[in-house]
Amino acid sequence: MSLSVASFGPFHVDWISWAPTLGSGIVKTIEFTFASFVGAVVAGLLLALMRESPAAPVRWLARIYTEIFKNLPLLTEIFLVYFGLASLGLRLSVFQAGCASLVVFYAAYLSEIFRGGLQSVAAGQREAAHALGLTEREVLTWVVIPQAVRLVMPATTTMLVDMLKSTSLLITISAAELMTAGQLIASTTFRAMEVYFVIGVIYFAMCYPLSVTSLWLEKRLKAGIPLSPRRRRLITQVRLASAGEVAS
Amino acid sequence: MSDSVIRVENLVKSFGHNRVLDGIDLVVNRGEVVSLMGRSGGGKTTLLRCLNLLEEPTQGVVVVDGEVVSKDGKSLHRAQRVQLRQRVGMVFQSFNLFQHLTAAENVALPLLRVGKVERGEAVRRAVDLLARVGLADKALELPARLSGGQQQRVAIARALALRPVALLFDEPTSALDPESSREVLEVMRELSTEGITMLVSTHEVGFALDASHQIVFIDRGRVVHAGPPREVVFESASERTREFFAGFVRHGGGALT
Repeated sequence: MSLSVASFGPFHVDWISWAPTLGSGIVKTIEFTFASFVGAVVAGLLLALMRESPAAPVRWLARIYTEIFKNLPLLTEIFLVYFGLASLGLRLSVFQAGCASLVVFYAAYLSEIFRGGLQSVAAGQREAAHALGLTEREVLTWVVIPQAVRLVMPATTTMLVDMLKSTSLLITISAAELMTAGQLIASTTFRAMEVYFVIGVIYFAMCYPLSVTSLWLEKRLKAGIPLSPRRRRLITQVRLASAGEVAS
Repeated sequence: MSDSVIRVENLVKSFGHNRVLDGIDLVVNRGEVVSLMGRSGGGKTTLLRCLNLLEEPTQGVVVVDGEVVSKDGKSLHRAQRVQLRQRVGMVFQSFNLFQHLTAAENVALPLLRVGKVERGEAVRRAVDLLARVGLADKALELPARLSGGQQQRVAIARALALRPVALLFDEPTSALDPESSREVLEVMRELSTEGITMLVSTHEVGFALDASHQIVFIDRGRVVHAGPPREVVFESASERTREFFAGFVRHGGGALT
């Protein structure tokens, strides 16, 4: 730390020299968010599909899981995973425990969102797909999930932003993410308001672009612009073929 | 004995205590167009759905293209069921197009996924089929941008994609205004002259009289009268049948264009 004269208006903390600390905090936050989001989406999708299973025990398992973890505070889950499991002999690293608790928490919410999306795809389309001779897996892959993805995108992005903000709770297990970095700086410089204000701005700067990007993506999808290169190629071929057809 | 594509013997279908189909006998020969008529709720839709196993018959025999599809309550499962559906196409009252795909992609999907056709060929066939139903210029439109009549015609093209041995139509024009109805019936009429085997559940008496070889009148889960169109509509020996078609006959249905 330094007693530098670098001060700017009400900002007296030497942010330049604290930049590395902030930087590593930001990177850690992003790492937690990314890893946990991927895990939560996979787990959430799995749970949503389990809820649709013809086997009753499978449905029940998914239902019980969801009900439990929607009704526990994230902080409690973090402590359960990190301290609780450690006291039983299972010692997870801070990163493992942090991600595990985030995944466990958000998978429950995402599974509800995904379930809603899956069910929203009109049953008639599913029937038509079956009537064409597609297998259940093909119906899901080519008809249901592409449409469900569009439907769940807004709610899912909200969860992503929420998750990013929730990583701040990991300060309680010294996860070296942004909040932890902020606390370190504040306790060293004693300039709490300034420090936490800047931390807040950084969180905003990370979250806001996510929301904007998701809105942009939604608009593109609604306009029917194909996302995958495979579909783009297909549509190009159709364009060529139908131009010839119409001309003849 | 002529070549039957669909043969149904004593078909019974119950939903719980509700016996929707109460012993149906039906034969559809190759190249025939058969119109299923009757009150809504009388079992027409259920009958069609038993043919491609969207519903499983409770009793009776269903034979499609020489293969026993269902017998005594036991129906084809999994892989065989999937195969059956590749040979029998269905067109739904509510079109059921895949909303996220363009018209051409809708038609190409079964070719690509089920028929395992190479992409270029699938696209060619899809566009051809769309041209056949008069929609070559709409190939790149999403269903939401198409009118009801256009959507249904795309649905017909899609059902034809895998060159099924028979096409099932479940009240294809019931959700359409008269003009769109005409468009779709016109396409169906053309198909019927091309020798495609069709089983059509419909309220369109005009179509049934013009385009079909046989009308099967179903009431309360049973076949009341099956025979040549003019006989069933105008000269039925069955009172119930006469009652059903009375409205059509009375309102100048006799003079047809």
